[in-house]
Amino acid sequence: MAVELAPAESQALQVLTIVALAPLVSGFTAHVEARLQGRRGPRVLQVYYDLAKLFSKETLVPEDAGWVFVAGPIVAFACYLLVPLLIPVLTDFPLPLGYMGDIMGGGFILGLAGFSVALAAAETNAPYAQLGGSRAMTFGALIEPSILFVTFTVAIITGTDLPYFQAAASRASVAAALRPAHLLAVLAFFLVVLNDTARIPVESPASTTEFGMIDEGRTLEHSGPLFAVLRWGSSMKQLILYVILINVFTAPWGLAGSERIGSVLLAIPIFIGKAMAVGVIFAVIDNSFSKLRLFKITEFMAAAFLIAMLAVLVSILGGG
Amino acid sequence: MLAAVARPTTFRDVADALTLLVLLTEFAMLRSSLPRSQVRLYAFQSLAVTALAALVAARHGLGDLYVIAALTLVLKVVLVPWIILRVLRDAGTEVAGSHRLGVATMVLIALAVSIFGFFTIGSMPFHSSSLPTPALGLSVAEILVAFMIVVLRADVVSQAAGFFSLENGVSVVSLVVASGLPLVVETAFLFDLVVAVVVFGILMRVHHRRTDTLSTGVLDRLRG
Repeated sequence: MAVELAPAESQALQVLTIVALAPLVSGFTAHVEARLQGRRGPRVLQVYYDLAKLFSKETLVPEDAGWVFVAGPIVAFACYLLVPLLIPVLTDFPLPLGYMGDIMGGGFILGLAGFSVALAAAETNAPYAQLGGSRAMTFGALIEPSILFVTFTVAIITGTDLPYFQAAASRASVAAALRPAHLLAVLAFFLVVLNDTARIPVESPASTTEFGMIDEGRTLEHSGPLFAVLRWGSSMKQLILYVILINVFTAPWGLAGSERIGSVLLAIPIFIGKAMAVGVIFAVIDNSFSKLRLFKITEFMAAAFLIAMLAVLVSILGGG
Repeated sequence: MLAAVARPTTFRDVADALTLLVLLTEFAMLRSSLPRSQVRLYAFQSLAVTALAALVAARHGLGDLYVIAALTLVLKVVLVPWIILRVLRDAGTEVAGSHRLGVATMVLIALAVSIFGFFTIGSMPFHSSSLPTPALGLSVAEILVAFMIVVLRADVVSQAAGFFSLENGVSVVSLVVASGLPLVVETAFLFDLVVAVVVFGILMRVHHRRTDTLSTGVLDRLRG
């Protein structure tokens, strides 16, 4: 006998998957990265321990900081809770709230999250946090055209820009997934993910040099539970971007085709396995390239934009 | 890729992907700061052109094109890069980052230029029987980007590599427009390239002997 989940339950399960397992994927990636460098590295579950430790500490707020400092991380976390409703994390069919927003909508919510963290950083009056916040906003604006053009490509290929439709188009046939426009869009989006998850070549995730920091710099002044929320949020953002990369563009297989409880639950380990595989790829990239100088990051952005633009051109003139 | 070639439905996608690869390599040549890596990229681009020629030959059963593909492989993938790399090694100096503008700016300018080429050709009522139509627009875009390399790079090796890759773009155009050209004519084109390589090789050596550098930045002085 097959027990069916209510749509709302599957949807809640999508959010829960992201919330509960994002630190696992982050921890796994950090572990693999350390192993590749010949270090023993942190435990896979280290991120959970860190979060538990931070939640048990007190919150310190800088002298001049107001409520924005406290609200920023929480708003960002709420945004990251919202996005998994819109994207195919576990099921290959749209859940009731899945039509609430398209790729642009999800992008706006992620943008709001980044904005509120930057605002909290600006509130601190601490130079390094403000530096990080303003850099994150600048580079966020520079990478935005690439995201737009990837979305345009999706729109041209599928006639809509809902992530579920793009996933269905990628799943439809291998030939469709190997079309040049699709490959270019995937490549451009991959570069966008590299930027947005603060990986090499844009930023080195384990760096402690404030002058090289972009995303990491924003959180320097936060402590205790607020810092925990920020760290948890950034690992959720990473997993959300992995979802879009995997389940929308590259490998939308292994998703639950029905609401039977077994298939929805089975989709969780399959998805986490795929996310960890992507994590390994990112760890290898981290170890094979060096970080770009700050003023050379625009070259990286230009490359992403070039590829996204070509994807649109090829899909307009070549019919994909 | 071989499996994909066998299926007629994906011929178009593979051809598009190869043409795109030629264009993307051109952009990579524009970006890369070392002339040495530019020459390697040129060899890679020539390999893509060879694959494209072989693909068209296999698709349409053109025996002559196989010969052209083989000649392209020997000349452009092996011989020309080898000659330029030798000139570079003999010169013993390295010009790093001879960009006249910032890399991001150059890429954006080249992108605008290639979009112009793309849409100009795309608006022409032209249908090729040998390759999908976007290939023409893509290869014209590639030629324009190669022009940008010659314009925006200030060292002799980059300019020569830009010129040779321009010839690659012309080869792709000729594959689209006239893949059934007689063997003699095609071979004559390749011979042209050999002459160009010899001339450029001599020019590079002369330039290096006179100015002790590969950069063209010193050429605006009246006395060397």
